[in-house]
Amino acid sequence: MSIIAVYNIKGGVGKTASSVNLAYLSSKQGRRTLLCDLDPQGSASFYFRIRAPKKFNSKKLLKGGKHIEENIKGTDFPGLDMLPADLSYRNIDIALDECKKSQQRLRKILQPLQEDYDRIFLDCPPNITLLSENIFFAADHILVPVIPTTLSLLALKQLFTFLDDIGQSRSKVLIFFSMAERRKKMHLEMMQAMHKKRGVMQAIIPYSADVERMGVYRQPVGAALPGSTSALAYERLWDEICSHLAA
Amino acid sequence: MQQPGTDTWFLPDSLQIEVLLSALARELGAVAAPEYSATVVYTDSFDWRLFQQGYILHCHDRAWTLYHGDSGAVTVQQGGPELKRSCFVRDFPPGYLREQLEPLLAVRCLLPLATVQVAGRQVRLLNRDEKTVARIVFEEQRLAGAGPVFRMLRLFCIRGYDQELASVRRILAENGVNLPASPLIGFEEGCKAVGRRPLDYSSKFVMELDANSTAGQAMARIYQHLLTAVSRNIPGVLEDLDTEFLHDFRVGIRRIRSGLSLVKNVLPTATADAFKKDIGLLGSITGPTRDLDVYLLKKDSYLARLPASLQPGLASFFADLVVQRRAEHGKMVRALRSKKSRTILNTWKRYFASKGREPGPSDGIPAKELAGKIIFRRFKRVMRDGKALDAATPDPVIHRLRIQCKKLRYALEFFSSLYPATAIQLVVRQLKRLQDILGTFNDLSVQQQMLRHTLDGLRGARRNNELVAALGALMQSLFQEQQKLRGCFAEAFTPFSDPDNTALFRELFRSKQEIP
Repeated sequence: MSIIAVYNIKGGVGKTASSVNLAYLSSKQGRRTLLCDLDPQGSASFYFRIRAPKKFNSKKLLKGGKHIEENIKGTDFPGLDMLPADLSYRNIDIALDECKKSQQRLRKILQPLQEDYDRIFLDCPPNITLLSENIFFAADHILVPVIPTTLSLLALKQLFTFLDDIGQSRSKVLIFFSMAERRKKMHLEMMQAMHKKRGVMQAIIPYSADVERMGVYRQPVGAALPGSTSALAYERLWDEICSHLAA
Repeated sequence: MQQPGTDTWFLPDSLQIEVLLSALARELGAVAAPEYSATVVYTDSFDWRLFQQGYILHCHDRAWTLYHGDSGAVTVQQGGPELKRSCFVRDFPPGYLREQLEPLLAVRCLLPLATVQVAGRQVRLLNRDEKTVARIVFEEQRLAGAGPVFRMLRLFCIRGYDQELASVRRILAENGVNLPASPLIGFEEGCKAVGRRPLDYSSKFVMELDANSTAGQAMARIYQHLLTAVSRNIPGVLEDLDTEFLHDFRVGIRRIRSGLSLVKNVLPTATADAFKKDIGLLGSITGPTRDLDVYLLKKDSYLARLPASLQPGLASFFADLVVQRRAEHGKMVRALRSKKSRTILNTWKRYFASKGREPGPSDGIPAKELAGKIIFRRFKRVMRDGKALDAATPDPVIHRLRIQCKKLRYALEFFSSLYPATAIQLVVRQLKRLQDILGTFNDLSVQQQMLRHTLDGLRGARRNNELVAALGALMQSLFQEQQKLRGCFAEAFTPFSDPDNTALFRELFRSKQEIP
């Protein structure tokens, strides 16, 4: 049983694509998997063609229990369920702030779901807020997709500082390179400088039009284009992540 | 996660699939997947270890699928070995499927049960976002050979799409799809065709005795039941499918022998003696092979007891055991196939089934009276010997207590149906704890003797040095564990002999006359 947050302060680094594809691979292993779309844009929900039920909103999310269970939807893939996002999540920090023990609310909400699911993925919005703090408390592993650029490194440093501030272990963090382009010298140099560091995955997700086109075919790459370079890259990454989950 | 529920119905012969599909297409999108067809072989261990836990396993060439029997939900689908005559968990590649099967099957092999030809087509039903909201599967299951054909429709729901599901159900009902079917009909009928029925064998002794039966009737039924259990294991023993067949065979034999020594005078003396002699023969034929099986099964645990540098020393030891086992198994098979042993089981089964048996002196007493007397006598014996137990008790005395416990356990099992189930469970649980510790202790003692014996047989050749060192280290390790166990006797005996438990024994089994 593990909760895996896919997180980065920066946007557009491939968080949603990774959540969708990795959650899909997890379910294919026969593990009951839940993907929680926490991003008000609802991109992960869109990829699975799932609309949030009309009565679902951030208040319901924070109440937890049956309010969540009623709104979980099955994807097209056996063993993979999803809690869709709602636009009201944009104000979730305000709602969270009104809760008791506001940093640990999410952990409390997710706890009962761990009986039903072997793995819970959190597709997180790009920012560093009270919700992020909640996510770090709740997650067993924080998976950080990083485009190999200087600004990404800066974001990573900010994340580590923040984790230190709130007393969360840096060892929760697993980093992998996303949207990497081998023909770019800077990408190569950054990856070479980083790949031996602790918590950095060796598997790389290369930049690919196949992943970008997920919005068109609205399925995980592994389902739409099995055997494609991107599908295989995600499989390698997932295998590597699994070896860390067990540890 | 809510298991995706399924519903299965027989397809009416008159209903054409296309008609049904077009009715569905009026309200929902429908996308049909390519047709599939496969010959699947359902498999389980001889004692239904998977079915017992609610699982169904089948393979199609090297593709294996583990299902939840009730919901039909796929637990895991993975590659594995080819199932011919049998296969073991160790033949599967490491992975989730093996992880699931390993604790359930342990040393038992998988056997092919029913072969079913499956052909069908899955149709996904879509909403306006082209999201799948339900699935239906048209499936034909045909038993291997010229068996009957079952035409079915299965509906799989998807969490969170209840309204759509309700529409699908309505449309199905409107089209006459309303006769429920078991999704496992192929499995069930296929098992029947090969003479098996789920849970038709268990190594546990489970038997309902009639509360009003006489001792003679009860014992005849118990012996019949045990003889059947013994003979059911013979094909597996002869084919050497896995070690449990022989184990269960011998447990059956031991139960019969215990029955004969526990219950005297129900059979005429001459008959009891002849029965005992015959059954004893089957026991002695099978003993040597089982002894070797026990050591071979311990291989991994033996190696784990040794430092890496001494482990290679055991290689020749185990290689030798394998050779011995092959020879002993051959001998055993010949002995079991001999006319003499083949007739033993049948003769006695017939004897106990016959009406005009000559009754022994105590044949007519009520079964419950007999049961209480026997169990309580055994209980007193265990209490007496158990109380004398301490850390310095010699091994043979402990062995004797172990045998007493075993007899008490068998007696409890034979007659358990005559007593309230919860009370029996309680006393058996306490007894089992004591037995476990005594059993382990005795195993350790016997193993050391066997290793000592092996050592004695070795000549001073230099290449034996490594073996000698390994055996020495192994004996040391076994001895230490045994010494440690000695300290646990009191701990295990206390709950068994505590006032609540003894009072329960008295209340259940002591006859009214004995109460002062």
